Amino acid sequence: MDPKMTEVTQMFARFKAAYARNDLDACVTLLSQLKVHLTKFPSLPPSFQQTPNAVEELKLARDIYEHAVVLSVKLEDQDAFERDFCQLKPYYMDTCGIIPPSPEEYPILGLNLLRLLVQNRIAEFHTELELLPVKALEHPCIKHAVELEQSFMEGAYNRVLSARQAVPHETYVYFMDLLAKTVRDEIAGCSEKGYDSLSVSDAKQMLMFNSDQDLHEYISEEHPEWEIKNGAVFFQKAKESQPCKEIPSLQLINQTLSYARELERIV
Amino acid sequence: MPEDVQMNDSEPQPAAPVPVAAAAAAAAPALSTLHHLKEIATVIEAGSLSKEVRRISRAFRLTVALRRRLAARDVSAFLAFALPASSEAYGRLTALVPKEDDTEMDVDAAAPATQISIKHGLPEIEIFCYLLVLIFLIDQKKYDEAKACANVSIARLKNLNRRTVDVLASRLYFYYSYVYELTNSLAEIRGTLLALHRMATLHRDELGQETLLNLLLRNYLHYNLYDQAEKLRSKAPRFEAHSNQQFCRYLFYLGKIRTIQLEYTDAKESLLQAARKAPTTARGFRIQCNKWAIIVRLLLGEIPERTVFMQKGMKKALTPYFELTNAVRVGDLELFRAVADKFASTFSADRTRNLIVRLRHNVIRTGLRNISISYSRISLADIAKKLRLDSENPIADAESIVAKAIRDGAIDATIDHANGWMVSKETGDVYSTNEPQIAFNSRIAFCLNMHNEAVKAMRFPPNSHKEKESAEKRRERLQQEEELAKHMAEEDDDDF
Repeated sequence: MDPKMTEVTQMFARFKAAYARNDLDACVTLLSQLKVHLTKFPSLPPSFQQTPNAVEELKLARDIYEHAVVLSVKLEDQDAFERDFCQLKPYYMDTCGIIPPSPEEYPILGLNLLRLLVQNRIAEFHTELELLPVKALEHPCIKHAVELEQSFMEGAYNRVLSARQAVPHETYVYFMDLLAKTVRDEIAGCSEKGYDSLSVSDAKQMLMFNSDQDLHEYISEEHPEWEIKNGAVFFQKAKESQPCKEIPSLQLINQTLSYARELERIV
Repeated sequence: MPEDVQMNDSEPQPAAPVPVAAAAAAAAPALSTLHHLKEIATVIEAGSLSKEVRRISRAFRLTVALRRRLAARDVSAFLAFALPASSEAYGRLTALVPKEDDTEMDVDAAAPATQISIKHGLPEIEIFCYLLVLIFLIDQKKYDEAKACANVSIARLKNLNRRTVDVLASRLYFYYSYVYELTNSLAEIRGTLLALHRMATLHRDELGQETLLNLLLRNYLHYNLYDQAEKLRSKAPRFEAHSNQQFCRYLFYLGKIRTIQLEYTDAKESLLQAARKAPTTARGFRIQCNKWAIIVRLLLGEIPERTVFMQKGMKKALTPYFELTNAVRVGDLELFRAVADKFASTFSADRTRNLIVRLRHNVIRTGLRNISISYSRISLADIAKKLRLDSENPIADAESIVAKAIRDGAIDATIDHANGWMVSKETGDVYSTNEPQIAFNSRIAFCLNMHNEAVKAMRFPPNSHKEKESAEKRRERLQQEEELAKHMAEEDDDDF
């Protein structure tokens, strides 16, 4: 076996041990060293050189990046997640036929979809979705994310929240918690437009707060324009289009003059 | 020339022994195809020498007209005529064209009889030969040879820098990509296409850039790489379109990208424009544009008119989309699900399956809007029943769906949480507001803008402004006009 390969494999074993111990700091240091070592393998993307141990190298590198993605979820670092995922993606997209597909592929792709949903990057969500074959859409992890997006777009927020209980993979919990926060903001926005007023207890239940105190804090922070009196929350309605009482004369004069000018040019 | 076609049709029977007389008769129409090819070659030569790109595009159009009549021996005879026998290109190309030995001799013998000769060694002619062989091989379904030919020609093109070659080169790029698409290996040539695009940009070959950009977009979209396609598209230099066909394609790809990225309004505009600009003969292309445009309009909450589905020659292809539209229009989730299942294979083939999944939400919206219009007050439980929301807690679902629809402006209503019902607002008299005024203004602005654009787009023959009329002519013209006016006035008087 190639000495470089052996070194990386050993280091990766140490990383896995640290990960099992939940020693996250050690993991991070080992991971950055591993990434530096990976740059020395010529068969990895983007060069894809046909070396004798290309298959081994690709498999190892994919494994490392998969662990990196999962680690970033554990660290709750979304930027690191995005970086690691971008590095991992070529292994899923462009190595067909060189190495067999990874069992972790769909859970991680689903995780990425969920991240895009949480960050409200719906356009990218759909772009990623188009890349998946029909078969992948059947996979529980992908299906989970797709159904979440659908419920989210429809406004069936209860379904989004109940999906938290049925996560297909333990790493999903972090993003599902973040999603709950997004959902709360959405519900608040919708309630503002949909109701004239809500009793405090109903509002508390809808916005998923445990105490009146939390609700008051949330309102004063996010929506200071809401009013709380007589045990109910009153939403301030935006002014609807009022019947027009006076003619907007200045605007009309301007428009008419511009028509005259344009007509002059035509005739 | 109906006889020519007939004669050519009877040709592919190599098994039968060819008598001398028949061979001579067959040589006559072949000669005429060959003759045409030679004439095209002279057109190219003239275009090359006078540096007129227009002539070269004309030559290519003439070739396309000949395309169906091309036979192997015409092509090899033409190669022998146009390329110096010692040249590298000649050796390579003749190896690719299949031999039909019997008749070939006759044609060769007949060739000197035509009094056309061209200068050897013009790169335009050489590229034209590559193009001709490539088209011929594609038509004969000899894809491996065609691939080899395309690769050689692209390698040759990379060393050329002549503006008169650009027209032919852009066609070559197209067929190059086409062969790889037919053999399902588009991913292989992505790097080459990118290099060619860079080269075309550096040479300021706008037609080449346009063609290559479209080929690249097609290449990316073939593998659903919308992200890469959009990145390339937004960074590639844009200029006024040179070819209508290429512009149509560009608009179609742009529309697709925007649809995936949820920019429906822009997508609709591009797709409709592409469908409208496409020539009527490009039926397949127009069907594709219409399919996507229908979905985008549905996603926008519009219902396409019935005439869209009844267009000539498209009715059958658009039937699945017609039924889908119907389901969305009615707002019936069950019907929608049934249609989506029934035509699942069609939608998968059209790669619109994911878009149709997105439509579910529009079906609910339409249903909700219908309810909101018909009832001034309705309980949330009834809404859930009418929309057929099947979940554990339909009332809570209905409530949040209604709330979201209100926020997005789809319906005008309020919810009464304590009583659990939705109250629709009375639609006020729109004419008491400033709305009509604003709508009227935007329409006038549109018309005026249209007029200005039309004036800008008008073309005038060159030099027309230089031929100023002389004073004498002017006087003459004025006199004539005066007489005419007088005459008309008299006629008017006569009428009384």
